[in-house]
Amino acid sequence: MDMDIACPRCKTTKYRNPSLKLMVNVCGHGLCESCVDLLFLKGSGNCPECGVALRRSNFRVQLFEDSNVEKEVDIRRRVLRDFNKKEEDFSSLREYNDYLEEVETIIFNLVNNVDQLETNKKIEKFKKENRELILKNKARAGREEAELEALLEEEAAQEEARRAQIAMEEKEEKRRKIRNKEALIDELMFSTGNAQSIVRTFAESRAQDAAALAQAAPAPVPVKATQFSTGIQIGRGSGHIEFLPVPRADDTPLFHYEAPQRLFDGPSPPSWQEVDQLGYLAHIRGASDEERAGGYNSHIGCLRALEDAMAGLYYRANREGSVF
Amino acid sequence: MEDRLRRYEKIEFLGEGQFATVYKARDTQTENIVAVKKIKVGSRAEAKDGINRTALREIKLLQEIHHPNIIGLLDVFGHKSNVSLVFDFMDYDMEVVIKDTSIVLTPANIKSYMLQTIQGLEYLHNNWVLHRDLKPNNLLVNSDGILKIGDFGLAKFFGSPNRVYTHQVVTRWYRAPELLYGARMYGTSVDMWAIGCILAELLLRVPFLPGETDLDQLTRIFSVMGTPTEETWPGLTSLQDYIQFKPMPSQPLRNIFSAAGDDLIDLITSLLTVNPLGRCTCEQALQMPYFSNKPAPTPGPQLPVPSSINWKKQEERPSLKRKLLDAVDGGSLAKKLIF
Repeated sequence: MDMDIACPRCKTTKYRNPSLKLMVNVCGHGLCESCVDLLFLKGSGNCPECGVALRRSNFRVQLFEDSNVEKEVDIRRRVLRDFNKKEEDFSSLREYNDYLEEVETIIFNLVNNVDQLETNKKIEKFKKENRELILKNKARAGREEAELEALLEEEAAQEEARRAQIAMEEKEEKRRKIRNKEALIDELMFSTGNAQSIVRTFAESRAQDAAALAQAAPAPVPVKATQFSTGIQIGRGSGHIEFLPVPRADDTPLFHYEAPQRLFDGPSPPSWQEVDQLGYLAHIRGASDEERAGGYNSHIGCLRALEDAMAGLYYRANREGSVF
Repeated sequence: MEDRLRRYEKIEFLGEGQFATVYKARDTQTENIVAVKKIKVGSRAEAKDGINRTALREIKLLQEIHHPNIIGLLDVFGHKSNVSLVFDFMDYDMEVVIKDTSIVLTPANIKSYMLQTIQGLEYLHNNWVLHRDLKPNNLLVNSDGILKIGDFGLAKFFGSPNRVYTHQVVTRWYRAPELLYGARMYGTSVDMWAIGCILAELLLRVPFLPGETDLDQLTRIFSVMGTPTEETWPGLTSLQDYIQFKPMPSQPLRNIFSAAGDDLIDLITSLLTVNPLGRCTCEQALQMPYFSNKPAPTPGPQLPVPSSINWKKQEERPSLKRKLLDAVDGGSLAKKLIF
């Protein structure tokens, strides 16, 4: 069956060229890798079967034999990239199900070429209306993926540890058996006592050992069990809470505004109100409407000029603490 | 000069900007960790003053400015045709904090960040300096939780009545409406608007007004704050690039910042006032009840540290889904097709 796969353009089959790889684009028609290379040398071109304009970067290796399935997978991926609302985004299950139904309708329409225009318009509208939510969900999906990966990794690591422990236990068990056997043989060889009673005492002590082991063995299991799959969440969850900043408002002082101290080395300039009241503004050009609209007013220029003129007037080079 | 070059021992490459490359370095004299910003030579046009203009601004302004909440310029040295600026080393910036979703920003944290920012800015404004490029990216934080305003590449002295300024300053999302309308004379209000946008971003954890074009930016501003008129913003129509917008009502900020208290809403409203003369100044902002009310601002060392800095910090866990709980009752699963 595999050998029947053929490129519709150059008619090469899997039989003749075992490394043949069929690629598909959005239109769902297949093309072999070398034909893609040849036809889409410039990055874009038309599908040799249906003439739809295609871009080379959209070619993918065909995963399914049925090109319709392939097309649907592609469309589904594309649609779900934008229709990525989660159950949490809806207030009721009913609404969520309606939404899912709508998504499926859109996908079905696109796959079977029903109402293409209308459907595409619907997608655009949805995209525009939900742009922020889509972005947010995308970010969330990425995060969830990373979390899932971390979870899997942790589980794998624990599996590994458990396997190592079991192996060690087995080894230990084997060693103990050999030791017991040797001890028994030694006893039988060199002891003067009754052989049967020796065998019996050994059997008893082994049974005791096994019982002790059985008692000891189940103990570590539950300890580990809390760390597995669901346990991880609990452990992590409680670990996370520690990172939440604990509000401790009591010991931190509240903020009180104090005007900053300025080293001026000159007569102190008038305050913002004084500039107005004492008539300083009469001596400078008033700000125009446009300047005032931009957030500049004559106070600024006036005060700046006054400060520039006064700052450093008392400055003496040998005095300490002067900054100007 | 050779000594200065040898004084700073390169530790690692930190990043590259349009005008400079930044290295982390050790000051061999004081054993402090510093950041060395090596200015790129740049094209002839950029360096027509003999040195890149942004670097010149930083050197000129920062030499005279000293405040705990403003990045300290420790040293400047040249080597061949290069100029390097030595700054305090800062571990991360506010953009990292905002984007790090594992960080929970409490109201106290936000208050602490805002307080430090506005205190630094008040000092700047008192000394007649406009920053003109305030954004989360330029608010730097060190491991002690001290926030410092950085990047003075666009900063300029203000208050001269005859000097015309360019309106093409401030990253668009933080640009005040008067700048978007092409005002050539402006004051501290442009920085205050940016502070308002940063505060909103700290609360929402996404840029508050992410305009795609200058026009889109104005649309976004007015759709939230309402379209200004000649009554609410006198002189509006005389601005150079004034365009009539269709009247839009203002939205109550309380609906946007649902987690914010009344005192905080007051501060945001005051910072994001469309009329620049109606916008509060740093001094007024710091005297608003928000800052003196409870909760008290978080002390620096207790501020959250991004996971990229603090490797031990673990990722947020997803909450248990309703699905899992409801599964016991059965039959309430979503009919989602899973492939």
